[in-house]
Amino acid sequence: MGTSALIFYILSAVMILSAIAAVTARRILRAAVYLLFALGGTAAIYFMVDYYFLAAVQLIVYAGGIVVLIIFSILLTTHINEKLELPRWSKISATFSLTAVGFAITTYVLTAQSFTTGTGTFADATVGLIGERMLAYGEGGYVLPFEVISILLLAALVGAIVIAKRNPPAS
Amino acid sequence: MTWSELLLMRHEWALIGLALVLIMLEIGISDEQKNRIHVVACLLMAAITLFGFWPAESGKIFGGMYITDPLRVLMKNILNAGVLIIFLQSSVWLGKAGMKNRMTEFYLLLVSSLIGVNYLISAGHFLMFYIGLELLTIPIAALAAYEQYQSKSAEAGIKLILSSAFSSAILLFGLSMLYGAIGNLYFTDFSLTDSLLTILGFIFFFSGLAFKISIVPFHLWTADVYEGSPTNVTSYLSVISKGSAVFVLVILLFTLFRTIQPVWQAVLYATAILTMTIGNLFAIRQQNLKRFLAFSSIAQAGFILLGVIHGGSLGMASVVYFVLVYVFSNLAAFGVVQAVEQATGKLNIDDYNGFYNTNPRLSLTMMLALFSLAGIPPLAGFFGKFFLFTAVAESGFYTLLLIAVLNTVIALYYYLLVVKAMFINKSELPVPVIASDGAMRISLLLAVTGILVLGFYSPVFDYINELCKTF
Repeated sequence: MGTSALIFYILSAVMILSAIAAVTARRILRAAVYLLFALGGTAAIYFMVDYYFLAAVQLIVYAGGIVVLIIFSILLTTHINEKLELPRWSKISATFSLTAVGFAITTYVLTAQSFTTGTGTFADATVGLIGERMLAYGEGGYVLPFEVISILLLAALVGAIVIAKRNPPAS
Repeated sequence: MTWSELLLMRHEWALIGLALVLIMLEIGISDEQKNRIHVVACLLMAAITLFGFWPAESGKIFGGMYITDPLRVLMKNILNAGVLIIFLQSSVWLGKAGMKNRMTEFYLLLVSSLIGVNYLISAGHFLMFYIGLELLTIPIAALAAYEQYQSKSAEAGIKLILSSAFSSAILLFGLSMLYGAIGNLYFTDFSLTDSLLTILGFIFFFSGLAFKISIVPFHLWTADVYEGSPTNVTSYLSVISKGSAVFVLVILLFTLFRTIQPVWQAVLYATAILTMTIGNLFAIRQQNLKRFLAFSSIAQAGFILLGVIHGGSLGMASVVYFVLVYVFSNLAAFGVVQAVEQATGKLNIDDYNGFYNTNPRLSLTMMLALFSLAGIPPLAGFFGKFFLFTAVAESGFYTLLLIAVLNTVIALYYYLLVVKAMFINKSELPVPVIASDGAMRISLLLAVTGILVLGFYSPVFDYINELCKTF
């Protein structure tokens, strides 16, 4: 087993364990911190396959932005110290067995499939190329989704403001 | 890219234009004149709906990211007309105290969701498909929580956003499997083989979409969200959101997933039976009209699947026609519910006892809508169901047909319960006489005209059938 394989397995183990911990943690702030490790591990995997741009985006947006935002919003609410109650055993066992079946099926299908290997490497995806693709409108260009996402962001902003907006008391 | 190519996207351009006009109006208009925004929005939406019927060309732009053809344009027109009716029905609700300073936002959110619907139908790449789906849902979650001072509405908003996030995750998981099997996300070169991976990917993908159509067993969010949301948002969810998801499901199954037709037929067979039966059985037990219509719409989704299962152009035509009829029937029913709710706050079926004595026109509208949903000739709903059943019979699923017919009988029973309450049951305190405003009257008139015209005027189905044959 080469060094990179070893690093890969260690990273995967960290990611899986922190993902499980994030879901099972009973204090919400801890869950957010475990989530940070899972997202950071993903970034590390991107670094391993030489996809630096995506790795940087993953670190900046997810680990840096979203987790911090989540922690902020948790700290702003009043229920930080509240512990979630333990679910009933019947619930746990039902969920666990369902998940196990799903996991077994998915793993079986994924291992049975013979994937075709591409020729390019992730290192080919330079920031310049990504920028060009983002603004290209021909085959392989992404300007339309890029622009439609801006409508989505506008709508999300308006929606957030509407929900947060204080109403004058209804007379 | 030339101008004429960009004009292929004119439905979306028009709606984006409407959104911009609304933003400019909100900035420029004084508080006293805010009522005019409602008029402007309705007039512009009517203009956009009419303008949409301008003869359409087929074409692909943005390297195949965006596909349009006459059938897709027809689907967009159907949903635009539905949104126009919802706009008209919102006037009373938006005029209430505390709503006035949020009127523009309501229209803006609804229009952005409709832009999402349009891009979803025209998607030529799974990225566009996904963005369209999110743009369709996220603004609606904000709208569901619109009456923030009511805890039910906030609950509806959070339930909608959580369940849609969950369903999106499942859908994306399926898409990643399909991408792994094919290595491409453009619809044009999407050649599926029936390996295990594609089948599993399809099942996850279908589950994600089934959440949006509220097919059993993915329907659990429906009743609570429908009940808690403001009624016009509920009608948007049950008509436009569901209709667009059905349209895109049909398009994808009949083109991209054509190679695994036996798989999706089996999946649809099981879910159609479950959806019809469970939707109907739960609808019988409901007292709250919004929950009642929620379960009725679940059952209707089950009927829609009957047409999808056929797999040919007849099946597609029957689905498009049924959704067209469903838009008008359901919006007529929701319109009456809304008129009564705004005037009196009453939502239970018992409250409608003696409704005919005080409000004969509204109760006749409600009766036509419910009869159309139940499928009583000569109303449009009968022909909608008739074509769906023809499609099932043609594909040879006779057991399924029998179950569907039995379900129609159950559905007739509970639709008649409401009609009985309105016309036969006596009440000491019936709903007082309601004076609807002009916009609500126009909307109900449009919906009733739709129900009657689609039932009596057969060229509509012929036209849809022609479009589906050439699709």
